[in-house]
Amino acid sequence: MSEIMAIASGTWRKILRMKVVYFLIACVYVLIGSAYNYDVLSLQHHRDLMIDISLVLNTVAAFIVVISLTFDIPREIREGVASTLLTKPLGRTQYVIGKAVGTIVTGVVICGLVALGFFVIFNLAFGEKIALTMIQSHLLVILSLVPMTAIGAFFAVVLPEMIAPIVTVVAVWFSYSTGVLSKASILYGGILPDLDLFNFKSHAVYGGAIGWDYIGLVFVWGLIFSAFAISAASLVFNYKDIK
Amino acid sequence: MEYVIQTENLTKYYGWLFWKKQEPSLENLNISIPKGSIFGFLGPNGAGKTTTIRLLMDLIKPSSGTATVLGCPPDNIEIKQRIGFLPDTPAFSSYLSAYEFLDTCAKLLRIPSSERRNRIEEVLETVKMSKHAKGKLGTFSRGMLQRIGIAQAILNKPELLILDEPLLGLDPYGRQELKDIILNQKRNGTNVFFSSHILSDVERICDHIAILNKGHLLCSGKLDDLLSAVGYRLHIKTGNDELAKSLMDEASGTMRLPDGGWELTFSKTESLPRLNDVQSKNRETVTLTPMRENLEDFFFRKIENDDRK
Repeated sequence: MSEIMAIASGTWRKILRMKVVYFLIACVYVLIGSAYNYDVLSLQHHRDLMIDISLVLNTVAAFIVVISLTFDIPREIREGVASTLLTKPLGRTQYVIGKAVGTIVTGVVICGLVALGFFVIFNLAFGEKIALTMIQSHLLVILSLVPMTAIGAFFAVVLPEMIAPIVTVVAVWFSYSTGVLSKASILYGGILPDLDLFNFKSHAVYGGAIGWDYIGLVFVWGLIFSAFAISAASLVFNYKDIK
Repeated sequence: MEYVIQTENLTKYYGWLFWKKQEPSLENLNISIPKGSIFGFLGPNGAGKTTTIRLLMDLIKPSSGTATVLGCPPDNIEIKQRIGFLPDTPAFSSYLSAYEFLDTCAKLLRIPSSERRNRIEEVLETVKMSKHAKGKLGTFSRGMLQRIGIAQAILNKPELLILDEPLLGLDPYGRQELKDIILNQKRNGTNVFFSSHILSDVERICDHIAILNKGHLLCSGKLDDLLSAVGYRLHIKTGNDELAKSLMDEASGTMRLPDGGWELTFSKTESLPRLNDVQSKNRETVTLTPMRENLEDFFFRKIENDDRK
């Protein structure tokens, strides 16, 4: 476990030390706050618009963090950083899990900051208390990091450096489009996760209740999917020649 | 005899299926590295040195053959706790400071947290990088990275130190310091296996060598056994000019030493019986030492002979 955490801490340190991350979070705050000014354009639905934008931008933030993983693992392999680490008593599976855990922790911090910023801006703009559904919707976005990271880790290990991020983008996009593409069963036969399970924008906007049991089940489902994806990634990685 | 590394018909083809290379990068390598040795692994570029090291560190998988490191197969994770490794191009997480990177390595090596700080400071001192402990690795020069690479390799006080081109990128002082570190490691009981192109350094510090060319082993063994005698050097102390003059006709070279003594060199091995006789009669004043072929000549001879085949 300590080996996994050593790799994970390296991963989150790397991203969370970048000043540009905080600049981008500040930009996200500005975009969320700017929804307040769309009262005329949205026919006085600017409150709903702000909630919607906050969830979309938080999902995009989670997605960008996951994409960073698809660049990070192949680059570490190419530059030889991975080979230095793997000559220590560290299994290749532990390396992949450590990278995934580090990415999830990074995503939790960044998405958590986006959500917190939104709650403050929303409260200041509309003087309303933050509804439980809003918190739950943002929590679901944060929980979606788990299966998304597993997809990213799988492609980062299996595919070459330039292809992995592109394929990950397509896979995540398809995974969020289950409503539209539900008839293409081959895509959802257990290969791609149904990330729409984590999408509760309408509940957040219109106040429908989300049960904690649902959130718990979705989280467990995400963990099981991740276990399979990471196991498959490890299986390939264990036989891969490392520069 | 106990061996720290043994390989049996170790072979590696790069690529896969249709992309598999026709020529192996390493073919039927059989080497045995005895315990307590400093083993130099030599060969021109593309000879298969780095491939062998990567196979021994389980970074790549063999196409056929087997290897054992400290008595275990290379994919045994636990033995890595007893090995130190420096890659040929040291690349580390550039955003970490030297201390943070070594701390990560120490965690991976399961060094107890109570000892970690002291051990990191100790190795930084050994590689003369204490002043740069807080510096980001991304800002370090090639030589500084090499030193950090050495620091992480000796962090766990390894039983076996595997160094791939450790002298590369170091200035003459750095090279000397590294040679001292390697010799110190040997004194502490560490077995050292390293590849290098700098033959003079290998000759100075290694007791065993192996030479690879085009993926196959040309020779392996004790350096003293491999380098043949090419002549003899006779040192005659001051005040024995008559003795020196009597041998000058046979000598291929003579030199008057600043202290008044003589140094005569004999390139013909037939002179040995007579020289032995001279030495036995003048034990107090004469010293006879064999002159052996240097490693550079030996290396080129072996490679050229192999290339001609």
